[in-house]
Amino acid sequence: MTQGPLDGIFAEASRQLTICNACRYCEGYCAVFPALERLSEVTQGDVTHLADLCHDCRDCYTACMYAPPHEFAVNVPAALSAVRRHSYDEYLPRFPWAARPVSRRAAMLAAGLAAVSVLALLSVLAGGTRTGVPGSPYRVIAYPALLAAVGLPALWSVLVMAGSAARYWRATGGRGLASPGALLSALRQAAGLRNLRGGGADCSYPTDEPSAARRRLHGLVTWGLVACACSTVAAAVSQDIAGDPPPYPVASAPVLLGVIGGAGMVLGCGGLLLLRRAAGHAAAASGAPREDAALARRGYALLAGLLLLAATGLLTLVLRDTAAFGPLLAIHLAVVVACFAIAPYTKFMHVIYRFLALVHDSAESAGGGPGKRA
Amino acid sequence: MSDQVPWDVVVIGGGNAGLVAAITARERVSRVLLLERAPAVLRGGNTRHTRNVRCVHDTGDAYTPGVYSYSELWGDLCAVGDGPSSEELASLTVRESASVPSWMSAHGIRWQPPLTGTLHLGRTNRFFLGGGKALLNSYYRTALQAGLTVFYDCTVEDIEVSGDRCTGVVVSRGAAGRSRIEARSVVCASGGFEANLDWLRRYWGDAADNFLVRGPATNDGRVLAALYGLGAARAGQERGFHSVAIDARSPRFDGGIATRLDSIPFSVVVNSAGMRFYDEGEELWPKRYAIWGRNIAGQPGQIAYSIWDSAVNRLFLPPMYGPAAAGDVAGVARALGLAPDAVTATVAGFNKAVAAAGFAPSRFDPSRLDGCRTEGLAPPKSNWARPIDTPPFYGIAMRPGITFTFMGVRVTREARVQTTDGGAFRNVFAAGEIMSGNVLSSGYLGGFGLTIGTVWGRIAGASAAAAAREES
Repeated sequence: MTQGPLDGIFAEASRQLTICNACRYCEGYCAVFPALERLSEVTQGDVTHLADLCHDCRDCYTACMYAPPHEFAVNVPAALSAVRRHSYDEYLPRFPWAARPVSRRAAMLAAGLAAVSVLALLSVLAGGTRTGVPGSPYRVIAYPALLAAVGLPALWSVLVMAGSAARYWRATGGRGLASPGALLSALRQAAGLRNLRGGGADCSYPTDEPSAARRRLHGLVTWGLVACACSTVAAAVSQDIAGDPPPYPVASAPVLLGVIGGAGMVLGCGGLLLLRRAAGHAAAASGAPREDAALARRGYALLAGLLLLAATGLLTLVLRDTAAFGPLLAIHLAVVVACFAIAPYTKFMHVIYRFLALVHDSAESAGGGPGKRA
Repeated sequence: MSDQVPWDVVVIGGGNAGLVAAITARERVSRVLLLERAPAVLRGGNTRHTRNVRCVHDTGDAYTPGVYSYSELWGDLCAVGDGPSSEELASLTVRESASVPSWMSAHGIRWQPPLTGTLHLGRTNRFFLGGGKALLNSYYRTALQAGLTVFYDCTVEDIEVSGDRCTGVVVSRGAAGRSRIEARSVVCASGGFEANLDWLRRYWGDAADNFLVRGPATNDGRVLAALYGLGAARAGQERGFHSVAIDARSPRFDGGIATRLDSIPFSVVVNSAGMRFYDEGEELWPKRYAIWGRNIAGQPGQIAYSIWDSAVNRLFLPPMYGPAAAGDVAGVARALGLAPDAVTATVAGFNKAVAAAGFAPSRFDPSRLDGCRTEGLAPPKSNWARPIDTPPFYGIAMRPGITFTFMGVRVTREARVQTTDGGAFRNVFAAGEIMSGNVLSSGYLGGFGLTIGTVWGRIAGASAAAAAREES
């Protein structure tokens, strides 16, 4: 566990959490406060863990009598978001050959280059192998080339994410990965976005008024992504096990899951982008500090990336019988390659860290969650 | 301008009692105006620092498991301080409390299970989700949706009365300056005078200089003073207040719950001479925490020190500023600026008296009156007395933290403000802390301030609406 003095953002978060622990009014909103109360002293690793348990619903901020302009100046969601931003950089893996982790900028550049290469490659091949039936991706790109173009960055990402997760888990003293109960509880909380329910009060987002919009839209994105992943698996099963090559009919699992998932992601990401904008306006109007500015930019970037991914995929599927199919598929593949390559360097990592934090919390609270107590 | 048309009901004070009165009035008449002294971000006065409400309930539920009958609450109320000021109005409050939770739910309030670290409150008190500011946010939302008007940053300068009728109030509103607001009836729900140190000094002398105020500095009693000036009758004792032990390092105003110390029943409390002066284990904490502000106010320099050891360190809410810690009692005493020998002798004497009573760790039980007591010690410690012998040792300096004063205006069963000549104003009503002296004398029962505010807010709101109809 990361020990040592708490300074900077950790000292500020810890100062605020000490006030919270003496007050406890927010105990019913989410998992953060019961988790805080179980700690006998707060280390840097603990603050990191609490930061990822926080889903930035802002209920504790709107309920806080110590929020600025009170002299105690408590704004827990803002303080924890600064810690989250820090941890997204801090826990990137260190490779044996490099003194420092790959910088975010280098990763973005590499991903951009990869995407451009895929586009260039496809335009040189200009029509691919032409062996498939109309609407088949293999008319545009050969199966092994497709597998390599998408698989290599995906593999890279999985390795970096695993390294990040391992470092994060050590730093926060995580436990519970071997406990089916903790895993199940974490999955249940993640699937229903329980920590965005505010103990029944919904979120104070995008304004200070209660709203379920964020949880619902986030649910669309989560489940849209799951449907898209299932669509890919269904296609692989059809092709490699059932021996039935693409394209698949409209009433097939790959197409239906892809369309539903893609549409969910487009709606969800679009809605969340609008909510983010409204939250920004509300923050500017009230003058109260909100989410860490750099983290907010990464939030926009993640939503924009996922929106582009889903929209190009959806268009490729819907327009597969038209002349636009080739160029659209090329663009979609370039986006896929870029997204896969940079995922561990983006806010996508919140999926990993939040889930790990939920597992750890579930283990600590012995299967309970917010609102339950030992 | 809407200010020219008379308002049906003007409510002074935007805390719990004022909001309940305003919402209740708005359900009966159309033009209701709420005047709040603070800006919107700090609205709600002392209500911002509340967390639960004490009500009679004949069945348990998810939030208050177990029964809390009329007679039990009445008994608890009679057992604090000198008991109720007015039996009639206090019993009315207790009786009406039974319908308070459902009224609150119907007006937007959400609940949560009893907070951890709040021993003994779970059965009798109902906790609202997120505490007092969340409650205020919900009530303001309900009020604004119902179509009533709120003026923030609005200070009442004067209440205009002709005979037994109020005709309007004069207010100042920041840059907008002074203006007159015409009203058919008025509800005063503007709290006590605990933040007015000059006023407190009249009854407490220089001791008032060492009082800390747990709520905002705006609770200066100016509306109460205006009512007295108009001939309103007094209810409650001059020195009546709800006051608890808080960290001596707390801010002068508005420190709220986070500065409160709940270590007392698990510690020994000494004064500046290092001597004990009151039974720390007299009763369950929610029934006794409210006497400790008064206890400390009676000690030299209005300061006292709670001293405990590692064996009980996690049994109460962790203090916000952290305790002084040392390897021995003398070290804690030195850190607190006390004479080490005196405190060491007091703790040694206490430990001897605990042993003399035959202390057994297995009998120690924070969840009930455990009978672990001292033998042959004056004053005794009647419960949770265990030797203070496990290092490290801890200590914190405490001052009286005043939550609210009880002395206010005398009211009728309709919440109508009475006058010194035996009559009553026709259209002036009061609710909440400003009339709490009709119910409370010198003691306090946790969560009952919200009960008084809600019960009397409803009564005052309904009475004011009726009076407004008669006036129009």
